[in-house]
Order: sequence, then structure tokens, then C-alpha cells
Amino acid sequence: MKVGLVSPYDFASPGGVTDHVRYLSGQLREMGHSTRIFAPSSRKQVDYEGFHRIGSPISIPVNDSVARISLSFHLANQVAAIVEQGAFDVLHFHEPLMPALPITMLRMSRTANVGTFHAFAKSNVGYYYGRPLLQPYLDRLHRGIAVSEPARDFFNRYFPGFSLRVIPNGVDTTVYRPGLSPIRHLRDDNVNILFVGRLEKRKGLGYLLRGYEFMRQRVANARLIIVGDGPLRGQAESFIARHRLPDVVMAGYVPDTVLPRYYDSADIFCAPATGGESFGIVLLEAMACGLPVVATEVPGYMSVLEPGHDSLTVRPKAWAELGAALVILARDAELRARMGAAGYEKAQRYSWGAVASQVVEVYEEARRAAVAGSLEEMHVHDAV
Amino acid sequence: MGEWTWRAFKIVQSIVERLPRPWAYALAVVAARIAWWFSPLARPRLEYNLKVACPELTEAELKRLSRLNFRNHAKAYADLMMLPHTRVGELRPLLHVKGLEYLEQAREIGKGVMVVSCHMGSYEVVAAIWSATLAPVTFFAEELEPRALYEWYRDTRARLGISVLPLDLAGLRKVTQALRDNEMVITAIDRDITGTGRTMPFFGKPAPIPMGPAAMAIRMGTPLFPVCVYRLPDDSYMVEGSPLVVADPAADEKAEERRITLELVRNIEGFIRAHPDQWHVPHRIWDGGP
Repeated sequence: MKVGLVSPYDFASPGGVTDHVRYLSGQLREMGHSTRIFAPSSRKQVDYEGFHRIGSPISIPVNDSVARISLSFHLANQVAAIVEQGAFDVLHFHEPLMPALPITMLRMSRTANVGTFHAFAKSNVGYYYGRPLLQPYLDRLHRGIAVSEPARDFFNRYFPGFSLRVIPNGVDTTVYRPGLSPIRHLRDDNVNILFVGRLEKRKGLGYLLRGYEFMRQRVANARLIIVGDGPLRGQAESFIARHRLPDVVMAGYVPDTVLPRYYDSADIFCAPATGGESFGIVLLEAMACGLPVVATEVPGYMSVLEPGHDSLTVRPKAWAELGAALVILARDAELRARMGAAGYEKAQRYSWGAVASQVVEVYEEARRAAVAGSLEEMHVHDAV
Repeated sequence: MGEWTWRAFKIVQSIVERLPRPWAYALAVVAARIAWWFSPLARPRLEYNLKVACPELTEAELKRLSRLNFRNHAKAYADLMMLPHTRVGELRPLLHVKGLEYLEQAREIGKGVMVVSCHMGSYEVVAAIWSATLAPVTFFAEELEPRALYEWYRDTRARLGISVLPLDLAGLRKVTQALRDNEMVITAIDRDITGTGRTMPFFGKPAPIPMGPAAMAIRMGTPLFPVCVYRLPDDSYMVEGSPLVVADPAADEKAEERRITLELVRNIEGFIRAHPDQWHVPHRIWDGGP
């Protein structure tokens, strides 16, 4: 099958949707399909098989985060040529209603269209007010996928008639696995707590820092490792300095090739997001490395976690509870091992192989629907 | 480095890390020239060391060489300062390797690889590229003063997957573990930092040389891999390795330790003589120097 994957986000900077597209493309290629990826990129040269750069992105603040998307509507000619010459069997749009690339391409597409909805938030003003405008675009999609139940419910709140199939994000269990070489100087008597994420408000790092302070008063041998960079880095650093928090490592942005080794250097994974998470791919990565998880009860995380089995969960923003959960796990190695093992087993169910074969099923359905749709069109034409 | 020097370093570093690579190098070249003119101790020490390494140099050649050395050293510092923001994957094409087959040989033995090197070239950035794109690397090196500088060094390297272990017992235990896991540990033997080295001829003059790598090779059977790193004229990096040095388990331990260390020193001398402009040692190595 010839598949075109379309993403609105900057392909050169890391992010959940971009990683999803990369992995899906890789897995589809392994399954013998041919894929091409279309996305904007802030760098001209991106060395990735099948990647085709369309436009460059600008940063727009949305959902307490920053989306790097292309807003240029001058791409139409370029897109038209691609759609014409590409002769794709399926075009798979990620965030299909996002301007400008996916929505432009969707308008021009004459083939089977599949859309995956990743986002989850409290509300979406664009969907709310844009409904009448977006509906015709949505009608062009033959099949829809949501990455989690919260993402599906969120979308259906605005477009109730459109049914979505839930296919979760995958995790590369060959890359994220236990037994990799750790960062050796981080492996000592300390219990290492790992945070991975962009340092921005909704990821809740501030609450984790307070929780860690609470915890350090009770457990002396602990270390907090913060992986990621972002606008709140300065604030986090000054909090650490002001409160004299000991043993906090600000690792900054860690390359993908090294990240699994950070998971393997940790004992507990902590995800303190305050909301706006549709899935929480980092949780799966941590579980695939056999780590127990302490997370907040936001819908996206809860769709992956089973509290008590593979994780301890606390209310969002409740930093004392977060600290207490960390204390419980830090003091109990046996509990950590048991939860880690349960998480590891669960992560195996989310391998990209399993996910991609479900996606291919949807492609087949969409192709059938597209053929049926075009026949219908023909009949109408004949009648006229 | 004192507290104030560290603070100054951090300020300069936070500027340099935001600059594009050519700009950072341009700044480094200017800084190198100023340092070359005005450094009270670094230049005489470096020139003394270079004169020992290459006695045939005339006064003018030595001057030119030390100027070039300062320049390359400043560029290596610029590389280090840019490391916290560097996207190492993009630098991969800049890394050239000679002697990779020796590394394969060492891996096949299965007892880890101890890379023995000297303070040459941008070894920081090369180790970072290696670690982030090829295989895990462990540094076995001294703890720097002040503590904040050491932590900065360690965290900067760790971001790129390099483990940094201090030259003490706990560090040694972890190094042993890394070698057992068939990983690569990097150390340098051209400077005796802990003051525990044995006096050996280094460029024909007695100097204290660390015996640690030889002891490891004998006790663990780890092959030693002499390696040097240097900068090519286009500012790309070359890693050059020579044949492995392997301990003979049947030989007398003391004599073997000496033989291996001499062999390593001979290799290191060869590297330094081939690229004296990249041997960055404005430090005292031999007694009697400035």
C-alpha cells in the first residue's frame, strides 16, 4: 500500500505527534508498505527516509504549550502537485483539522483519507466556533482514529456524529527496555526519580519540585533527574537554588539515542502533568523499561495506568500527595519491583507492531469506503 | 579553577552556547590570541612541554606552534561550551575514525575496552558524538574544583550519555562493572593528576605516569586501546587508534605493568609528535619546568 502521512507539526523538533509519525512510518515500511511523510520543518535538511518538507513552522501558544505549525496557505500549489503525482492509496492525516498543511491537503485529496486525533484539552475554541467551517473537511475523512478514549471523547464533544476508533500510541519495545547501560554515576545508593518532558506549565514540574522537597525531608537517599528543556527551565533552576534542594540533576534536552539509558538509570518515574495530556507516551516508555510510575490523575494518563497495579496516582496539583506517593515507593524496593514488572508486561501490548497492524485495518476500511463513496458520486452524476 | 574563574567561565559559556559554531570559533581565535600574549604561566609551560616533545624545533617554530596550540585549545573550549546546546546527531558527519578494526577486535575479547589517550584535541565533543550515536562511553577522570564546575562538566556529559566516574575507589568499582559489561572506558595518561604515578621515561625525560590502565589490563584482561583525537583543517574531528596493547597473563605482574605502560607511552608519544599543535597541556609535567 502506498501511504502518505501528513503532520502539521515541525518535524525537526521533538514532540508526541512527530514521534508517532516517525515510528508509524518505520513500522509500516517494515510491514512492506511504502510511506512518505509530509510536514513542515524548521531545518532544511532533515535526514529521515521518505520525509518531504512542506513549508516552515512558526510557534503558536496553545493548550498551555507551544505548537510549531505552518500557517502558510500559499502551499496549495505544492500540495496539489504532491496529491496529484503521489498516487497514494491512503493519506493519513494527523490532527486533520489543524491549519495549514493537513487541512489544505485534505481538501485536495482524492484518495482514501484517514485522520488521527491526538489532542486533548479542557476546551477547544477553534473546534467550537469553527464547527460549521470544519464540518465539510471532516466529511472528507473516510475513517477516524483517536489515540485514547479521552482524545475521542474530547473530539466527539464538538463533532458528535463522527465515530472514531481508539488505537493507542505505540512504544518501541526494542529501544525502551530494561538492561541497557545506565548513566553510571547516577547509579548509587540513591533512589532516582525521573521526570521526562518539556519544561512547561502543564507538565507540572513545579508540583514535582515541591513534592520532592516534601519527600527529601523523609527519605534522605533520593535524587531527582529532570530530563527536558523548555521555557520554565530558569524558574525551575531558581526554585532549586532558593529552596536548596539537594541532588537535583537538570539534564536538559537528552537525545533520543540516550533517553532509554536515562530510564534505565532511574528507580521511579514521575509524571505530574496538570492536564491537557491525551495519552502520555512517556508513561509507556517508562513502563517498557520496567519502572513503577507515580502520576497525576489526568484523563490521558488514566487511560494507560492501572493505579495500584503498575502505578500510584494522585490528584493533579496535590504536591504533598505526590511527595507521599514518592516516599512510599522510595522506601519499598519490593513494591517498586512488583509495579515495574506489571508495567513492563503492559507495555508489551503497546508495541508498534501491534499498533501498526490495527492502523492498516483502518486503512483497508477507508479504502473500501472511498471506493463506495466514489461509486455513489458516479451514480448521482449519471442521473443528472 | 577558583570560584570567580568558574563564575566567569559560566558567563562566557552561556554566551558561547547560543552562538552559531563559526561565530564561537571566531571568538575563540581572538581569545586564544589574547591569552597567548598575556598568560603569565600557561604559555611558558606549554612551550617547555612542546620543546621536550619536539626538541628539533627552532625558537621561531616553537613560537608558531604554541600559537597554533593555543588557537586549537580555545576552539576545543568553544566546543565544550557549546556542548549543552549541541545537537550531537548533526555533528556525526564531522567525526572521522581511523583504526575502527582494533575496536572491533577489543569488543570480541569481551572484557571491555580501555581507551588510553592524552589531553589532545576536542576529546569532549568526540566522546559526546560517539556516546550519543554509537555506543556508551565512560570517562574515568579527576574531580575538578570547584564542585559546581565538576557538576556542570558531569551533567553536560551525562546529557549525551557519558558516565563520569571519579578517580577513587567507588569510581573504580563502577569502571570495573562497565568493563565487565563490555563497554568503553576512556582515560588519559599524559598527566599524573592523583600524584600516584610511577616515574617513567616520557619523551626521554622522567615523568610520573599513571599505572592504572596497565593494572586493569593485567587484573581484568581488558585490552588497552591507544587513541588520539585531533581537529582537521576543516574543523571536523579525527579519531585515530593504534593496535591494541594486551597483557600477558603468564608474565610477572610488576614487569608486565612496566612493559604495558611503556608501550602505551610510546604510542602516546607518537600521537603527540604527529600533532604537537593539538596537545593541550599548559601544565607542569616534568620536574624542572616552569
